[in-house]
Amino acid sequence: MSELVLQSLYAGLLAGGYYALIALGLTLIFGTMKVINLAHGEMVLLAAYIAYTAESVYGINPVLAIPLAVAAVVLTSVMVYGLVSRIRQDRELNSLILTFGIGIVLTNFVLMVWSADIRSTNVPWFNEPVVIGEAFYSTSAQVLFFLAGLGLTAALWWWLGRSWYGRALRAVASNRNAAMLMGVNPRTTEVISFVIAGLLAGIAGVALYTVAVIHPDLGHNLTIKAFVITVLAGLGSIPGVLVGAMLIGVAEYMTITLASSALQELTGMVMFLLVLFIRPSGLFGSRGRVG
Amino acid sequence: MRAFPIAIVAACYLVVPVVLGSNDYILSLVIAALTLAAIALSWALLGNLGGMVSFGHAAFFGVGAYTSALLAKDLGVPVFLAMLAGGAGAALASVVTMPALRLRGPYFALAILAYAQIFRILANQMTGVTGGAGGILSIPPLPTVFGFDFSSKLGAYLVILTLLVLGILAYKAIRDSYWGLALKAMHDSEDATRVIGVPSTRLKAAMLVVSAFMAGVAGAFNAHVIGFLEPDYAFAGTWSVIPVVAAIFGGYRTLSGPILGALVIYLLDQLLFKTLMPQGHQIMFGVLLGAMILFSPSGLLPLLTKPFARFKPAKRTPTPEKRHAAAA
Amino acid sequence: MTFRSRSLACTAAAALALLLSAGPGSATDFAIGSQIAMSGALARVGMATNEGVTVAVEMFNRAHQGRHSVKLTSIDDESNPAKAVSAIERMAPDVQAFSGGYGSNIIGPASETAERAGKVYMTSGGVASELVKRGLTNFFRINNGEGYSRALVGLFGDLDIKSVAILHSTKDATQEVAHQVEDGLVGRGVKVSTHAFDPAISDFKPVLHKVKVLDEPDAIVMIGYENDYVGILRAARVMQPKVKLISGVWSLATGKMANDFPELMQNVVGTSTLPYPVAFTDPEAQEFAKVYKELYKKAPDYLGVFGYVQTKLLLDAMLRADEAGTLKQPGGIAAELRRTATETLIGPVRFDERGDNPEFTHRMGQHQGKQVVLVWPEKAATGPVKFPATPW
Repeated sequence: MSELVLQSLYAGLLAGGYYALIALGLTLIFGTMKVINLAHGEMVLLAAYIAYTAESVYGINPVLAIPLAVAAVVLTSVMVYGLVSRIRQDRELNSLILTFGIGIVLTNFVLMVWSADIRSTNVPWFNEPVVIGEAFYSTSAQVLFFLAGLGLTAALWWWLGRSWYGRALRAVASNRNAAMLMGVNPRTTEVISFVIAGLLAGIAGVALYTVAVIHPDLGHNLTIKAFVITVLAGLGSIPGVLVGAMLIGVAEYMTITLASSALQELTGMVMFLLVLFIRPSGLFGSRGRVG
Repeated sequence: MRAFPIAIVAACYLVVPVVLGSNDYILSLVIAALTLAAIALSWALLGNLGGMVSFGHAAFFGVGAYTSALLAKDLGVPVFLAMLAGGAGAALASVVTMPALRLRGPYFALAILAYAQIFRILANQMTGVTGGAGGILSIPPLPTVFGFDFSSKLGAYLVILTLLVLGILAYKAIRDSYWGLALKAMHDSEDATRVIGVPSTRLKAAMLVVSAFMAGVAGAFNAHVIGFLEPDYAFAGTWSVIPVVAAIFGGYRTLSGPILGALVIYLLDQLLFKTLMPQGHQIMFGVLLGAMILFSPSGLLPLLTKPFARFKPAKRTPTPEKRHAAAA
Repeated sequence: MTFRSRSLACTAAAALALLLSAGPGSATDFAIGSQIAMSGALARVGMATNEGVTVAVEMFNRAHQGRHSVKLTSIDDESNPAKAVSAIERMAPDVQAFSGGYGSNIIGPASETAERAGKVYMTSGGVASELVKRGLTNFFRINNGEGYSRALVGLFGDLDIKSVAILHSTKDATQEVAHQVEDGLVGRGVKVSTHAFDPAISDFKPVLHKVKVLDEPDAIVMIGYENDYVGILRAARVMQPKVKLISGVWSLATGKMANDFPELMQNVVGTSTLPYPVAFTDPEAQEFAKVYKELYKKAPDYLGVFGYVQTKLLLDAMLRADEAGTLKQPGGIAAELRRTATETLIGPVRFDERGDNPEFTHRMGQHQGKQVVLVWPEKAATGPVKFPATPW
């Protein structure tokens, strides 16, 4: 039994890195603009399908297709910003409807272009077993994108905290007018946050395509998962995303091991509620930042 | 100014049955749209009066549906009574969700969504009571009362219309009451109202219960009309999302906005878009939503009333009548 | 601009179609409706089934050219019960019967609506036993959960498998078939353990780990959908439980899986109506494959075969009812359907009082190389079963 528990701990942490990758883009935009991009999951899915086309039609390895996927999703993301920034009033609420509408359009676009068939990579490398010490089982893709999740979280954290644009972004998020007076163009920084979010969603999509199986109906679930992690993390907290994602991952895998997979979502949701009831603004959110 | 809404309601009762009475298909679309309208109204009540945006009204819709269906099918409770019990069951379920009242904004919204998911999984797992994933087939339909068959399309239409009218009256009564005033004050400044002694959490809790009751009755109605329930359907995300979209689309701060919104988006999608594009008609729906938000962000109602605005007398001091007119 | 012009074109086409169909002297004497998922969670299976329905209609029209014609209307139910009900209501006044539906949960309310309208509802998309326990007189289906479990249990009996781990999705149909397989196996003295999984799961390693360490079965049975199968097989390759066979039910031993995931599928066994590549021997099947190819530029898959068979049986019954003058009478088509007793592409079909097909037994196919070989029952087999054999 103990080997089962150890394995699920390990697998849960790995999954956490991958979940963080999926959530990061949403968190960034939520943190900087208080906009919940309900089309986020669909953007991740779009990247996954581009990786699929690259592999199945042109024989390009999905990892090498990342630039292509990222380009398409960044473009989509900037278009989403173009629309969201046109909302004249009540942006927090109205952006929900707008991005929900964009999500519907994207889902049906994917359905029409790629049909409803399930897809996943056929490059054997991604699903080769990686077994550490006869005890910890995983696949190459899981390890790869766990590391990518860690690396991108760290990079994003560093970028927001240290770089000029990152600090400008945070300045615009906390006080738009003051930031403008300091010579920061809020529109530029907001566009940049959407570009970065698109970049992250693009990489997440390729991860999705190689780690799991994709179908057009998946986008909505991804958005919810990303959103849960974002809220769990605390508004806009980047390290919180990683911690929250790993918490969800470990809770899910432990539930499968100790009880049943049928209950994994239940555990995730109950844990989510408990964390919020104990810390109403998320794991790493400070009270003042609650919107 | 009050004659107008009454005229519309009268038309709904008298003219619509005569015009559409024989067309089951159109009537069933209207019934589905009005069911969504009922949830949208309950959502708007919570959002507008309580100041809380919920992403999980499916939780209350589903609990109401299951309560009513099980009471009617397994215990033989008369359907209309069971529907009332469905509302009560949903209200009871809302008590379980009350810890979420501490949360604000998206945190509250998502907490309610989590409850909806939890209820769905419980309904899946409690096979002894709910029938599990297989669901419940052949739920008793709406009854025949005094020789009138409410299970017919026309009957169902009249039932949901009546439920909706009752819902509007309740909403209006709350809004215009002392409570409504307190809630409005709370909106403007929660801390200030707390200082002058308005129990804000209790007021919010009350709104949550009322809203859950309304959504629960809508769920119960739908269960008896469709005659079928399963956890994935009863607690489906659609029941959470479409009413939100409808309410905001129509203008959620008004009384009739959510209803108008539900009717317009559902009927447009099913009648027009689906005919034009049998597959992928949701794309047009998505475009419509986006266009609406960009071109008329406070909803459809202001868009419709704008052309008439200039015929109104000068609007320097908004009178109470005016507020009602805009709201109705 | 393209969006606008396309919708204009659509409107024009719709108006034209309306004019043509409503015009006097129309040769249409039969009309059937298909309510089926073309979007949402069931889009893939729904569309594949509908292709079979369309092919059956096309073949009927060719065969009876000049004497009879049938008009098919298909409406997308968006994988939603309420929309399925309104689709039925919309078509009911204009059609004599329905052929379609996918998912027991959608077929349930849709067929009850058809029953109220007094129209036959024929399907192959719902295997739940509840469906035939409702006392409907106009409900018919050509397959059922029992047929799937009978085939699986039959093959396992022949292979003398002593212990089995069943992995099943918590969806309605999968849960039901899992119970039937479990009952069947336990009845034969096989040791069975079951693991339910959430439909949203993508990493099955923890489940497979439990199977490997705690159950140590001879065989694994997967009851889910395509994405689940891919996930389970990938996890099994990593965990390498010591099993002799990996098997499952629908959507598994198919040409699509052989094409899309050739490495993963080796030696996996699943229910199957056809070998792959399809080697049709009788003329009807060859004709079917030919028309299918003409319309959809691909070889038929098993869902298409089911859609075709159900529709063909329905149209044959309508033809007989027409000759007997009972087509437009209440219960006329249903009565003719109850007289059906015929051999079809999926095996023998007849309908009992409840509209179920008691003859239905699936065949079992195994992925071998790039092919799917039928391995059970013996009389339908196109090759021997490889056993013990796993994908790795």
